[in-house]
Amino acid sequence: MTSINTTATTYPGIQSARAPSTMLAFLRFLFSRYARTITFWGLGISAYTLLLIASFPAFEGTSALDVSQYPEGMREAFNLQSLDTIEPYLSSQVFSFLPLVLAFLPVTAFASAIVGAEERGSLDILFGNPLPRPIFVIATWLAVALLMLVMLGIVGLLSYGAAVVMDVDLELAKAMLAPLNLLPITMLFGGIALVLSAFVRQRAIAVGVPVGVMFLMYLLDIIGKISESFEPLRNISAFKAYGDALQDGMPWGGFILLLAIAIGLAALAIPVFQRRDIYT
Amino acid sequence: MTTPAIQTHDLTKAYGANRGIHHVNLTVNQGEIFGFLGPNGAGKSTTMRTLLGFMRPTSGSATIFGKDIVTGSVEIRRDVGNLPGEFALEDRMTGRELVKLYADLRGVTDLSHAEEIADRIKADLDRPTRRLSRGNKQKIGIVTALFHQPQLIMLDEPTGGLDPLVQEAFLELLREAKQRGQTVFFSSHVLPEIEQVADRVGIIREGELVAVENPTELTGRTFRHVKLSFAQPVPGEKLKQFLHLDGVDHVDTIDAQHLAFQAHGDMNPVIRLAGEFDLTSIDIERPSLEEMFLRYYNGNTGKEVAA
Repeated sequence: MTSINTTATTYPGIQSARAPSTMLAFLRFLFSRYARTITFWGLGISAYTLLLIASFPAFEGTSALDVSQYPEGMREAFNLQSLDTIEPYLSSQVFSFLPLVLAFLPVTAFASAIVGAEERGSLDILFGNPLPRPIFVIATWLAVALLMLVMLGIVGLLSYGAAVVMDVDLELAKAMLAPLNLLPITMLFGGIALVLSAFVRQRAIAVGVPVGVMFLMYLLDIIGKISESFEPLRNISAFKAYGDALQDGMPWGGFILLLAIAIGLAALAIPVFQRRDIYT
Repeated sequence: MTTPAIQTHDLTKAYGANRGIHHVNLTVNQGEIFGFLGPNGAGKSTTMRTLLGFMRPTSGSATIFGKDIVTGSVEIRRDVGNLPGEFALEDRMTGRELVKLYADLRGVTDLSHAEEIADRIKADLDRPTRRLSRGNKQKIGIVTALFHQPQLIMLDEPTGGLDPLVQEAFLELLREAKQRGQTVFFSSHVLPEIEQVADRVGIIREGELVAVENPTELTGRTFRHVKLSFAQPVPGEKLKQFLHLDGVDHVDTIDAQHLAFQAHGDMNPVIRLAGEFDLTSIDIERPSLEEMFLRYYNGNTGKEVAA
């Protein structure tokens, strides 16, 4: 039997961490939680991109890349000017639709972070600790954003490396900026998921709504590109701001706008979550 | 006068039809073990979760060590160890990793008490929690609630899934926490468990605190179900001797070889009289909580009894 120190008058719990160290501790935990998932995403995107870069020389100059026979509307919709260089090739085969795929990463991560964790029953024991809800939201957003940034940076470097090895003419800046341009638009849809996760009681809603909004925006963008009369619809689509970093240059204005909206949504999630009851 | 560990004023949390807690007035003193007794769905978890800031009160107020539960929730949780009634652990992490995470969140560096608790309740800190049984997950939860020696320990149905030996070791940990000056507030729907360690017992039913009592008085007042089986048929007149004893009422069964009734207070006269017969068995059972509540607390609500 362990002896009892009946004279103890201090408790380690009183000398507790303050916000910065709590934030760092929680961030470390989140990095380890999300690192595996984001690594798998990075491997998948890298493998697909490298495959296309590696196969490009085999198609270069062949009729397989001749888009002149494609309907004009289709060329407009998918920005298919010509596929005889790597930029439009990668743009059409990877980066034009990659936001639709990659957005599932922050959307599912943020939907799981609050309402998903509530459904699993893991929030009660975590919030038994002195973890402020704003820190929870900020750290979760930062962890996903920073890990995605690193992952996209690695995708860019690998793409550039593959282009060098395969003797494909791809500038380093374009190889890096095209993946980077994915971050704000995917985090925007993730931000919608985060706000909903902080508000609703079902994870399915927190996933389904942003995904639905994303496909609707994509559709509006396509319709607006095809038909001049519907062109104004593109103004309410995030995909207009996303642009085409490989062919048209980095759309810094759109990048900053989408990033600002994504950050704004994360900020909105804080008061929403603070007013929320956590159920079991 | 010492600030109460927990004090509530008309604390109300309403959600859903007929759920929640209503006008709960409760005082838990520093350094005591306070048992919170009630059947499933009575409002025990809602009270504890509202106190910890997981849910906002609909009306009323409460303080923990003088801090408001709404505005001071984070500060309060620095000094509280919490074991929820239902919880899921991070399934890829081991118990040790979880304790380390919670220690980091709290700024606690000394994990020796966690190791000691784990050792005493036989908690496996080295396996990923997804591979642990419910009882073993419960043990990890207990370690995470107690390892930092908080001023207030809040435990919601803490012994669920624990075997009797571990239950005993756990109750001993609570007694030691009390000796160190820590306050323990724990809920249960098992009266004998609370009797063993609690200084006072709060009884909650259908969201209302119906009484706060001394556990000894509570169990002393509680009736017992008595069942006697006789080896030979016994004449009815002799059986009626039992029914004339003080505190005996509510005859449930009576025939030549079986007698079942309810008895209050001192059991000695019943046992002495039973000794005059050739018995094949004698059972003396406690009533269920729900029976007890119906018998003693029906219609008696909102009362707080001073310690």
